[in-house]
Amino acid sequence: MKVFLKISSLLFLSMSCSNDNYEPVSYDNPELSLNIPVGFPELNNSFYTNKPTKYGVELGEKLFNEKRFSADNTISCASCHKQSSAFADNNIQAIGIEGRIGLRNTPPVQNLAFMKFYNWDGSKLSLENQPIVPIITHEEMDSSILEVIGKIQNDTSYKTLFQKTFGDENITPERIYKSIAQYEYTLISANSKYDKVMRNEGATFTESETQGYLVFQQKCSGCHSTELFTDQSFRNIGFPINPNSNEAGRARVTGNMQEYMSFRVPSLRNVEYTAPYGSFGQFATLKDVLDYFDNGVLDADNLDPVFKNNDKRIPLTEQEKGYLISFMKTLSDGSFTNH
Amino acid sequence: MRNLKKYLLLSAISLAIVSCSSDDATPVANNVTLSFKNTFGDTEIVLGGATSSAATVNTSDAGQVHHFSELKYVISNIRLVKADGTEVPYNINDLDKGATVINHANPSTLNYVMSNIPSGEYKQIKFGLGVRSDLNTLNQVSFPNFYATAGANDTQMMWEWGTGYRFTKIEGFYGTDNKEMSIHTGSTVEGSEGSYTQGVDAYRNITLDLPVNAVVGNQSPKIKIKADFNKLLSGTTNTITLSTGTGMGDNATPNIHTAVQMVKFVDNLGGNGTNDLKGMFSVSTVEN
Repeated sequence: MKVFLKISSLLFLSMSCSNDNYEPVSYDNPELSLNIPVGFPELNNSFYTNKPTKYGVELGEKLFNEKRFSADNTISCASCHKQSSAFADNNIQAIGIEGRIGLRNTPPVQNLAFMKFYNWDGSKLSLENQPIVPIITHEEMDSSILEVIGKIQNDTSYKTLFQKTFGDENITPERIYKSIAQYEYTLISANSKYDKVMRNEGATFTESETQGYLVFQQKCSGCHSTELFTDQSFRNIGFPINPNSNEAGRARVTGNMQEYMSFRVPSLRNVEYTAPYGSFGQFATLKDVLDYFDNGVLDADNLDPVFKNNDKRIPLTEQEKGYLISFMKTLSDGSFTNH
Repeated sequence: MRNLKKYLLLSAISLAIVSCSSDDATPVANNVTLSFKNTFGDTEIVLGGATSSAATVNTSDAGQVHHFSELKYVISNIRLVKADGTEVPYNINDLDKGATVINHANPSTLNYVMSNIPSGEYKQIKFGLGVRSDLNTLNQVSFPNFYATAGANDTQMMWEWGTGYRFTKIEGFYGTDNKEMSIHTGSTVEGSEGSYTQGVDAYRNITLDLPVNAVVGNQSPKIKIKADFNKLLSGTTNTITLSTGTGMGDNATPNIHTAVQMVKFVDNLGGNGTNDLKGMFSVSTVEN
């Protein structure tokens, strides 16, 4: 019935070319109650001024999957941020339209509501400010926000959703960014085996996982701390350096030489699904990463003290590596990734 | 023109006689043209490729020869200061009407005509090299023309990842073996002015005294501004030696698309904001 009314009012509008008597249909767009996992860090401040709503999230998800965001209508956000890979992908570096290769490995879009910094260099501090970047970047979607709006503004399904979300049909850049952020806020992964063990829901670690957890606490949790398994700090850990002249790590943003080639410590949640690893996909497997730590990393003036003070390495036996990988796989969340 | 003046004079006189009015014919406003000349010292720059024999070659204080193949920068936030000290802002909050991309390869961009400047005498000009952080948001809805100009293929003055504009874009070659140099500047700040939460502000305010007052009224003066790119490497603030490589100290191509080495170049081109408010700019003449 609503749809019918909607269509008839549109018809009326287009026939009469008048909107003087147009009154928006009333809408009901309740806030979603998110299940905030126990022990997760504080929510990002932007969350409180853009709380997910029923239709905001629905609209955001539709936009997230909208290929018309790209100049040639071939890729959407979801093309690189695939649910099965914890909303990352398995390419070495991100691939945009016409096969253009981006600067870095696609970051997973999970638990972002609890993060203070976005992107590997922390260039953005709120999710609402992020969507324009891939839209306009040459190596990603190579479009512009007005081009995007031009393509979707006559789409009735969008008109309906903008109406339901914001009270009228106007499609603005801010509304697009806010809806996408609202959707991303709902992408919370906290249902892994690890979580079920910690919450005493009947799951138990195997022997190998238990050993892995012990090694992890000794040798990894200094950086991969909190329930997100990242302390969100930026560190140069001596990984092979991206030769692209646009890369400087965190220093690209801050200009601070102490942060040269430093990157945000990655969360290890769903790490099983996000290979390859490193800021530009230097490592094909988790084993490769652990071997690299064990063999020794590249030196740098600002090499993180964890390595600087320990002969540039994290010594690990083959057995320990196996245990660690077992443990890291307990961070895989099948319900989040649809595995 | 002379005829026009005569005519104006004649009508003014006859008006005065007929009406006994003392109003003269000075318009309330007129144009002011900013004419940019990009130089190495006193020599106007000629662009050229790696092995170009026509390109103007400059030698830095550190002894490095260099020349440019591409040279662009953004001017915005223009204010003219009257003899009595009042500031007359020129569409300072509207990038479509008050900002421009100077592109050395495109001569028509070297003259920027400001319209409807109130009649009067002006002693000083202020402008920004780059875009103020509050406007540096790639707002395509509010400023579609500037967005299109800056983003055009031949301009490429957008810094996508920083969600802002490039403020200067210099491509060229240095050293006897013509190694590539590529220097881009732009802001990476987050948060609002006065309380930036992170990043580097590459916007610089320029203040230049005019050698003689620009008289706006019957005339539409032209202010000739010299941008001396010798200062890029041999500036008031920094003497820079270019080096190529992937280390954090290298600055010719790697890193300079980032904030790492950028500030030294920004301070040379646009001043450091404290004791140097001119950077590479000076006013050579005012044509009234």
